[in-house]
Amino acid sequence: MSTLLQDIESQISGVKTSVTKQNVGVVREIGDGVAKIEGLSDVMMNEMIDFGHGTMGLALNLEETEVGAIVMGDYLHIKEGQEVRTTGRLLQVPVGKGLLGRVVSVLGDPLDGKGPIANSGFYPVEKIAPGIIKRRSVSQPVQTGIMAVDAMIPIGRGQRELIIGDRSTGKTTICLDTIINQARINRAAEAAGDKDYRPLYCIYVAIGQKQSNLARVIKVLEEQGAMPYSIIVAACASDSATSQYLAPFAGCAMGEWFMDNGMDALIIYDDLSKHAQAYRQVSLILKRPSGREAYPGDVFYLHSRLLERAARLNEKSGNGSLTALPIIETQMGDVSAYIPTNVISITDGQIFLETDLFYQGIRPAINVGISVSRVGSAAQVKAMKQVAGRIKLELAQFRELAAFAQFGSDLDAQTQAKIERGKRIVEIFKQPQYNPVPLEIQAAILWTVQNGLFDDVPVEKVKDCQNKMTDFFTSRKTPLMARIAKEKAISEPLAADLKAAITEFKASYK
Amino acid sequence: MKISKLTRRSAKGLFRSCLANGALDEARVRQTVTTVLAQKLRHYLAILEYFQRLVRWDLQRRTVRVDAAILPQPGLQRDMEQNLSRRYGAGLQFSYQQNSALIGGLRIQVGSDVFDGSIRARLTALQQRF
Repeated sequence: MSTLLQDIESQISGVKTSVTKQNVGVVREIGDGVAKIEGLSDVMMNEMIDFGHGTMGLALNLEETEVGAIVMGDYLHIKEGQEVRTTGRLLQVPVGKGLLGRVVSVLGDPLDGKGPIANSGFYPVEKIAPGIIKRRSVSQPVQTGIMAVDAMIPIGRGQRELIIGDRSTGKTTICLDTIINQARINRAAEAAGDKDYRPLYCIYVAIGQKQSNLARVIKVLEEQGAMPYSIIVAACASDSATSQYLAPFAGCAMGEWFMDNGMDALIIYDDLSKHAQAYRQVSLILKRPSGREAYPGDVFYLHSRLLERAARLNEKSGNGSLTALPIIETQMGDVSAYIPTNVISITDGQIFLETDLFYQGIRPAINVGISVSRVGSAAQVKAMKQVAGRIKLELAQFRELAAFAQFGSDLDAQTQAKIERGKRIVEIFKQPQYNPVPLEIQAAILWTVQNGLFDDVPVEKVKDCQNKMTDFFTSRKTPLMARIAKEKAISEPLAADLKAAITEFKASYK
Repeated sequence: MKISKLTRRSAKGLFRSCLANGALDEARVRQTVTTVLAQKLRHYLAILEYFQRLVRWDLQRRTVRVDAAILPQPGLQRDMEQNLSRRYGAGLQFSYQQNSALIGGLRIQVGSDVFDGSIRARLTALQQRF
């Protein structure tokens, strides 16, 4: 009882008894989640505004006689003439490890019914990206578990790699595979008690997605055991344009907490096309001048300031990193549209997915010709560099020569061999969804291809042979795989052992 | 009504011409409105609408509304007006209202600044704290 009395006393004494000064304004116009307010002479850009009844807004337009603010949450109770007041606070979201395994709204409120979130603090949604002095170059890999990506378009921690393609070409699947693979690696490192391993936490930001799609994503992550290492920020299609506009910034703030505390995080923005559309909607209602395709003039700055926050920090600044995988949905494969070209120019490379390849059965449907990773190769482990160096060239040569494939009988032996090798490489890179391949298996399989040990296997049996070889490596050659994983390079003795293992497998393969 | 940039600029020009020693001159404002209405300049209605908004904004900025549970004594009113004039500059217009909902104390609004020393505000703060 005495504690209760003390609590009440401290709360009463905490209330200021002096006169309070507030800055107030009056709602002049309200509609579509945007309010025009007169007054608020001391309001700051991006400051939270209190509309009463627990509804908050965000000041976005500071004009001579009025303030344009977007309302977060329900705005139907706000009326013309209502008094609003400034709060002196910028928009903040909860951050910390307590968010892992949770599905949260843009403001960090739980949506999964698992109770309140134990956060470690709050971070502002808008923050200036780390400067050049705090950064270092990308040097550690992000293992996606997708052979085509890890071998030919490697991604490093701190990189921004765009995933671009038409609808239903597997953009989200690539990201989910990456999250699942990271969870698998994190779990393995935890089980082995590896203290040097730096876990990679994943944040998935759903912007303007159908709720059914998001439910499917959550189900997949839960089934694959990836949720304990992931945060999902949801701003679905039914949420306001304001929420969809703020969602990537909120997710980024959550990721920045991991980076600032010396940890590594990966953030997926699914997708920035819808984000640009939401921002266009908000800007048009705020009566900001529109430009190309009715987008506001600062749509480039919107995405550049968001993606610049992905960085690899140097040792002095904690050695953390934030990797960004933005997604852009193209229309009819047009990468030269406004938003795709903007984001392509901001990011450090792109993975381009094609509908034609998807329907040819090449999945993931990555067009290797126009996909590129500008900084990731510096982060690629040596084993992958050794085996994947020539693969991209051979695949490119195959694409050049593929047109002649139908005249096979007229081709010289060397060209024929290149085409046959290319066909096998294409088969090797086919991979079912939610089935990431560990690094050591990837290295062993690609070493086999590079050394022509798949050349005597018929093309239609390559996939079957690869699957059986993977089983053989994981069940009977575990020490060899462990050596590749540990050494992260294929030395001469290791290559000899690998060759012996493959010969042993091929003797038994039918 | 959509107000163009040119209209806003014209309205602002008219507003500036109505200032005398930094304060709005009521006679000039009336004369300006009469002249614009008589001359019927291009987009004159939009110009006057924005001009009215600027005048309203300026009046609000210079209007002091004092709400009190019991109206303050003339001596206290004089002290208060002097203090506020020192802080916000000369030319303030004071209006006093009795508001029993405040229970006790004063609530002073100058433009968009509110100084709330009422019992009601303290009770609301206490309620929010619990």
